[in-house]
Amino acid sequence: MVPARAPELTAPADLPYSFCSQPRSLSSRPKYRKQSNAAETEKVPLHRCNIMIDPRVVRGNVLCVRHPPESTEPSTREVKRQRRAQKQGLARKLTQEQIRTGTPEPVEGRQHVSVQTELYLEEISDRVIEVDGECQTDEFLDRPPTPLFIPAKTGKDVATQIEEGELFDFDIEVKPILEVLVGKTVEQALLEVMEEEELAQLWSHQRAFAELRNAEFAELQRLEEQDRRIREEKERRRLEHLEKLHKQKETAEKIAARAFAQRYLADLIPSVFNNLHDSGFFYDPIERDIETEFLPWLMSEVEETLQKKVLGRMMLDSLIRTVVEKRLDEFSHPPPPDQTETPAEEPRTTDAAPQVSDEADAADQPVEEEETDQPVEEEETDQPVDEE
Amino acid sequence: KERALWQPGHARAEAILGYFWGESFSGTFGMATARISAYLPPDIDPTKAALAFGRRALPKLKEELQCPELLTQQRALMALCDLLHDPEKAYEAVALGFLDSLKTLLVHQDQTVRQKTTEALSVMALHSVGREGLIRSGVISALAGLLDDPVDICRKNTHQVFNMLAKLPEGAGGVLRAGLIPPLVLKLKTELDEIQELILDTLSNCLRVEVSEALAAGALTVLKEKLSHPSAAIRNKAAWVLLEISSHAEGKVAVCEEGAIPALVRLLEDTEPEVQVNSAGALMFAIVTPQGRTSAMAAEAIPPLLALVAEETSKARLNAIKALTLLAELPEGRSTLLEHRDTFQRCLHDPSEAVQRAAEIAIAVIDWKPFCSRDLS
Repeated sequence: MVPARAPELTAPADLPYSFCSQPRSLSSRPKYRKQSNAAETEKVPLHRCNIMIDPRVVRGNVLCVRHPPESTEPSTREVKRQRRAQKQGLARKLTQEQIRTGTPEPVEGRQHVSVQTELYLEEISDRVIEVDGECQTDEFLDRPPTPLFIPAKTGKDVATQIEEGELFDFDIEVKPILEVLVGKTVEQALLEVMEEEELAQLWSHQRAFAELRNAEFAELQRLEEQDRRIREEKERRRLEHLEKLHKQKETAEKIAARAFAQRYLADLIPSVFNNLHDSGFFYDPIERDIETEFLPWLMSEVEETLQKKVLGRMMLDSLIRTVVEKRLDEFSHPPPPDQTETPAEEPRTTDAAPQVSDEADAADQPVEEEETDQPVEEEETDQPVDEE
Repeated sequence: KERALWQPGHARAEAILGYFWGESFSGTFGMATARISAYLPPDIDPTKAALAFGRRALPKLKEELQCPELLTQQRALMALCDLLHDPEKAYEAVALGFLDSLKTLLVHQDQTVRQKTTEALSVMALHSVGREGLIRSGVISALAGLLDDPVDICRKNTHQVFNMLAKLPEGAGGVLRAGLIPPLVLKLKTELDEIQELILDTLSNCLRVEVSEALAAGALTVLKEKLSHPSAAIRNKAAWVLLEISSHAEGKVAVCEEGAIPALVRLLEDTEPEVQVNSAGALMFAIVTPQGRTSAMAAEAIPPLLALVAEETSKARLNAIKALTLLAELPEGRSTLLEHRDTFQRCLHDPSEAVQRAAEIAIAVIDWKPFCSRDLS
């Protein structure tokens, strides 16, 4: 998955270890510490110390007493005084030592011997044996490696070796270590398994609860449904009952109204008949016929007859009148020359006169009863019949 | 694998090795030598980033996650996935704001980064603090874009996150608010089987809250198909989803119209006990409505339900008794169940208290006789 890459020059972070900084040679320290300026510290130190002339490196005989080199601290007066005092004390000690004895006197029969206690004993003498020697390597030869200096052994060598089973019993000692190792591994594994198991437990718990909850919920819904059904049924029955009452009331009213109407109209027919009878709708046809036709005709005939009588009387009256008028005229006026015209005029006048007199009568009697019109008209119709 | 990656051809490494070799002393045999091995220690995984010590581990990983170099990001993600199993580290990660960085990495082009990011999110969702943090930081809407990811494992991890979140009420609300139900229902038709199981789980928890969106997206047709799936786990979970749907009023009506009740009755005789439990539960909710009851009677639900009740060790007893109680409110149901009254009598002595109560209620309903209408008012 991770692409293979060429190793880089800078060591990657997962190599065992490496130095943080590159190796470098040290610079010489001056005796007095300079005031450190930022500019100066950035410069490369000018004086690198030569290791051959560095006073800190020990040279020569390593067996004689050597004081440490002067310290580079700024030597104040107190320090100088202290050093002087130290030197004086040392000199005093040396002189006193020569007077005093160091170790106590040996017991009788014994003597003190100074002994070397190093592994390899050395002969000590006052004079150091000096031998001058010289050597010069061949120019073209490489310096052979220095042989390891092993001085000759004198004395007894004693060695010791720890066999197996002496320091510790492995099987017993390894138990706690193993327990820790295995325990930690198992603990880690158990943690990971427990994580999943915990979740599985939680879900199964949740499932169980969910089942109970669902059962209760279903029960709730069933009861709700039941309640709804019962309520609806109640409502329906109540409405039906109301309907029933309403219909009952209506029917009662209808019955009452019918009874009342019956009673009201019970004597309707007789009264109607009575009224009709009174107003003349039920008639005897013969009687009616007689009344409507016969009697008017009779009356008209009677009237006509009377009229005729009246006419006759009127005619007579008119005749009398004309005669009288004529006689009057005659008596008042001289008699007209032409008497032949008068008889012609007379029928004409007699024709016209009754008509004139009728008309005059009609005009004179306009407000008279209608029956006179009828008889007049009938007279008119009758007259032409008569005349014809 | 780890050894092959160590390349001793490096000059500086050789120098270090040679130095240490020269310094070794040959002591007596039987004791360990001080020679440094050329092989790496066995439990260093070069695919993981090196973890800083103690408190610095997670902040350093966070910086590495934002590094532009791909390899660093991948290694940091691998280390993160392992760290997040620890609840303390998960809490620390949420407090440090890891979720925002992970959110930005969700849309990375490299598939390994996406896969590891989704895995880290799913591990975080296993912890309670992680779940709360995920809901708060709005990761759900960011994950919605990964539903169509071409890589299988990314999609699987995404659905695992949704699944874990939906088990919380706030998480289910968050999934609903992000409008994820219609896409999930669509995915149900096309996804792989194990992802389908996760989707069904998520849906069951979300639909407990609200069901209208799912019904609008046509969930019932898909679920009815899944009821006859060859895999038992999918049948089980599909029945569970139907249970949750029919606990709502509009769900009940929709289930009845879809004609899922005969399919559920057939599942009552399934070989898996889990499937029986869930289908009995779904029936128990769906037949509350009168139409549901008539269709259940038409599908002859009473004999299999009675078989489930009679089995002493069945887990479906409780649901079956509730379903039979509902059917006993119908006259023809009551007449059939009056003959089997002794089955319910036996359940009165059941070890489970809930079953006892349910059996009492069932017997009361079976023995109910109609009375005069005057008594109703």
